[in-house]
Amino acid sequence: MDLGLIAQFLANGIVLGTMYALVAVGFTLFFGVLDVIKFSHGDVLMLGTFAGFTVWLGLEAVGIINPWLQLVVVLIASMVVTAAVGAAIAKWLVLPLKKAPPLNTLLVTLMLGTAIREAVRLFYPDGSNPKAFPALLPDASIDLGGFALRADSVILVVAGLLLIAGLNMMLNRTRLGLAIRAVAQDEETAQIMGINYMLVVLATFAIGSGVAAFAGVMNGLYYNEINFGMGLLLGLIGFSAAIVGGLGNLYGAILGGFLFAGLQVVGSALLPFASAYKDVFAFAVVIAIMAWKPTGLIPERASERV
Amino acid sequence: MARIEINGVRAAYDKADVLHDISLTVEPGRITCLLGSNGAGKSTLIRAILGLTPPHTGKILVDGEDVTGLPTHRIIARGIAAIPEGRKMFPKLTVTENLRLGAFQVKDERKIRDRMDHVFTTFPRLAERRDQLAGTMSGGEQAMVSIGRGLMGGPKILLIDEPSLGLSPLYVKENFKIIEAIREQGITVFLVEQNVRQTLAIADYGYVLSGGKLVAEGAADALAKDSAVHEAYFG
Repeated sequence: MDLGLIAQFLANGIVLGTMYALVAVGFTLFFGVLDVIKFSHGDVLMLGTFAGFTVWLGLEAVGIINPWLQLVVVLIASMVVTAAVGAAIAKWLVLPLKKAPPLNTLLVTLMLGTAIREAVRLFYPDGSNPKAFPALLPDASIDLGGFALRADSVILVVAGLLLIAGLNMMLNRTRLGLAIRAVAQDEETAQIMGINYMLVVLATFAIGSGVAAFAGVMNGLYYNEINFGMGLLLGLIGFSAAIVGGLGNLYGAILGGFLFAGLQVVGSALLPFASAYKDVFAFAVVIAIMAWKPTGLIPERASERV
Repeated sequence: MARIEINGVRAAYDKADVLHDISLTVEPGRITCLLGSNGAGKSTLIRAILGLTPPHTGKILVDGEDVTGLPTHRIIARGIAAIPEGRKMFPKLTVTENLRLGAFQVKDERKIRDRMDHVFTTFPRLAERRDQLAGTMSGGEQAMVSIGRGLMGGPKILLIDEPSLGLSPLYVKENFKIIEAIREQGITVFLVEQNVRQTLAIADYGYVLSGGKLVAEGAADALAKDSAVHEAYFG
């Protein structure tokens, strides 16, 4: 295999890894503060991406066509919608089920995800067909000898990694971050410290969901297409990434995201005749890793939660 | 002013820890203690005051204002802080972060720094270990963090739940000295304890809880001689 091709695979892997990590950190944040799996995460990010797409249609209709301006507005719209939906789900679905077994939360959010997915399919205009997502980033590329480095990939990866770094800094350096970590460790004592528990939980769900919306838009920009089912696979991959990395741990989620992307890329490189099997390969390896390290690669005990 | 009044409170945390119609007053600037054996309802009362287990009936007043049923962070905002039973460190946060959380509602960064300096002067051991994760410290050191954390918010009223539990006699003695010093700063103390003798030695007024009911109350020195106190424990 020539170097150009390897570099191409590597570049793809990094884009996908960033995208998956952005979804996985949400799962890990939700689990961190409430010990729950919110399975609607992927479908909520799909909903947010469709909201962003709709806003783009609106911008086009009123004649605002500067791609950078469009991009910023689309991103903000997606992230705000997703954050609001995430917080609403936390408030009216997850928190009321707090005293129930965690499996109930998983089941209820799984059903909610399906409902959101089906609602978009049925009620969004022509929702059952994929939508062509606009190319809002420059389509320039640099030729590096048999390998074309796409400018949009570079921008997406840099922005995504900055977002994750910002999230990490928020958790470790700010008052809200301290409150989130305190609630994650001991919610009752956190309240005794004077922390507004409800507000911290809602903020965590809003932030985790908003970050995932970035992955949704990134997905649209990278594949130039979105569809009602995109959240299902992204959510499942993000969930696997969070589990493989060690649920409840931010670094674990990032590691898991890149690991999964790496597996997909290796899968398509090894099986060039059948790259459709790359997910089969990646999930099979994840199963093997889970058998080897049942608590994830960075188990919670040995690391700082959230 | 820093008074807590509890009027006819009934509350249940779990089946073993139930309160029946409790009324008592924690007077400003004094150490009021609540004595009782395990399962007498002491922790439930602390939880009720903090809003963690709101009472079914009855009222809890702080400085004459009804705080019954308010969420915990709004009760804390009235100038109440707690040193909870079992110290309740955030084990994976550093000593500094634990102390910082004690001042979560304090907006003035300089006040926070001054109070933290004060805690480090009181407990030089904590100053040496300020960046250590609290969960890796000894029980005695965690007790220091817990006390320091309780003072970081500059409370008017401090609720202290079984501070001597699980500590060596030396630390227990040290703890009681610190509680006396806290009263000297003008902070109202509500001290919940099983350790009758040492508690009554520093308290001003005491209540005795048994089976979820108050069975005795009085000035601490009078209570020390009261047979009901001994019955509540050994009867």
